[in-house]
Amino acid sequence: MSGENISERSIMADEYEVRMDLLYTEEHEWVKVEDGNARVGVTDYAQKSLHEIVYVELPKEGMEVKQMKPMGTVESIKAVSEVYSPISGRVIKINGRLRESPELVNESPYDEGWIALIEPSNLNEELKRLLTPKQYANLLRKIIEKK
Amino acid sequence: MQISFGRLSRRNDVKNMKRTVLFSFHEKHGHIGKYAGYEMPLWYKGVISEHMAVRDRVGVFDTSHMGRLLIKGSQAANLLNYISTNNYSQLDVMKAQHAFLCNSRGGVIDDFLAFKLGENEFFLVVNAMNREKDIEWIKENMGSFNVTLLDLTEKVPMIAVQGPLSSNALRKIFGDEIVKLKHMWSSWFSFDGVRTLISRTGYTGEDGFELYLLEEEKVFDLWDAIMKAGSEFNIEPCGLAARDTLRLEAGFCLYGNELDEETTPIEAGLKFGVRFDDREFIGKEALLRQVRKGVRKIRVGLRMIERGIPRKGMSILKSGKEIGYVTSGTMSPLLKIGIAMGYVSPKYSRVGERVEISVRGRLAEAEIVKFPFYDKRQYGRKRETNLKA
Repeated sequence: MSGENISERSIMADEYEVRMDLLYTEEHEWVKVEDGNARVGVTDYAQKSLHEIVYVELPKEGMEVKQMKPMGTVESIKAVSEVYSPISGRVIKINGRLRESPELVNESPYDEGWIALIEPSNLNEELKRLLTPKQYANLLRKIIEKK
Repeated sequence: MQISFGRLSRRNDVKNMKRTVLFSFHEKHGHIGKYAGYEMPLWYKGVISEHMAVRDRVGVFDTSHMGRLLIKGSQAANLLNYISTNNYSQLDVMKAQHAFLCNSRGGVIDDFLAFKLGENEFFLVVNAMNREKDIEWIKENMGSFNVTLLDLTEKVPMIAVQGPLSSNALRKIFGDEIVKLKHMWSSWFSFDGVRTLISRTGYTGEDGFELYLLEEEKVFDLWDAIMKAGSEFNIEPCGLAARDTLRLEAGFCLYGNELDEETTPIEAGLKFGVRFDDREFIGKEALLRQVRKGVRKIRVGLRMIERGIPRKGMSILKSGKEIGYVTSGTMSPLLKIGIAMGYVSPKYSRVGERVEISVRGRLAEAEIVKFPFYDKRQYGRKRETNLKA
């Protein structure tokens, strides 16, 4: 397929990076399973669509979240976007650096810009509902075509 | 993740959308969104850098989506005196004056700026989204007046040059005369042989100019000339997003947010655009009643004390009780905190009053503050800091 640069770590859908070691939602969140916990954030496409991120409303530690229900917001000057939790469970850690440096979501959406770490309550069942990197990249290509 | 851009929405339905003459520039260099039926640039490099260019230096905006109407005839001033809240008879030629078109309840049909170009000729700049409604309203009410109404919107491109160094940039094109132009005055200049009306007005709180070019094809040359003249001051093209954050920081109203047909200029705190004198005008009785008996809601500025960005539609509370609503809100690029405008019950409108804003279910503390939101000694057209390029 044209416009696709394949490396070991990620694929590109147009200008948007899709990491190979993550699973995705159709609403542009990612999840990474680490020692049975789920680290979540928003995708490269999400941060580029919002442009300059100036505020992140983080979930609270200890909060119960449900798959595909809002757990916070990521905001630019003009736009607000709700962040849906890709996985149900309990928030055990949040990325407090985003309070002072929300721009980390722009600069490093898959690494330093992570949003929360969730202790999942129904991981195996819920992972099946998420998109693989290839499926997510295809979704992005469809979105780009429509524009 | 679901992105909602509010009124400055991303384009999806481009059918029937209008474009300004400069659209090809915007499409090449900017991010396009829909506003008031137009495909307009929301930003080019980024909202924050464009915003700060205008606060610190100079920025240029295509504002050709704004409506531009000409009313002429021996009774042009009489018509304006009757359909608007201000008196246009005593206005000096070439001076501009703000006013409102109100309905009989005093609700705002539109707010506008009108220039008196001659004894019997007025040039109105109206809101893009209201242009057709205004034309209809004026036609309905001009029956017995000897006037003609012309819509020049698509024939006369409009560009705004705003910021403390705007006169430094424009004098290189139009000469020293432009520096002498006073706030709220206009004058005729020539650009490459084309008559150009220039006013010292704007919507950013900063010193600045608005240019109306009488030949649409020349607008690319004018835009280029402004960019070139401003390059030594690092001029930036600015989109509608920065235009919105700039006007909000300055405490200026936006129609559709702070103003609508259910809100009066008195409630919005804009008495400067309403003159009560001997003349009759539409809405006078309702507005006078409010001046005498008071209002139920009043516009205030809000500054967040706790974290969070207030947005249009959020509730304002006091001790858990709803006392008002937010009409515009943003993260202030200058102050780097959440700021908003909204309406509250007058009881709670005192500067310094602590209130809460309901930010998606969380109550965040905010404080009622004066307009503008910035320190007038440091920013805005009356700043004390002497900025020399």
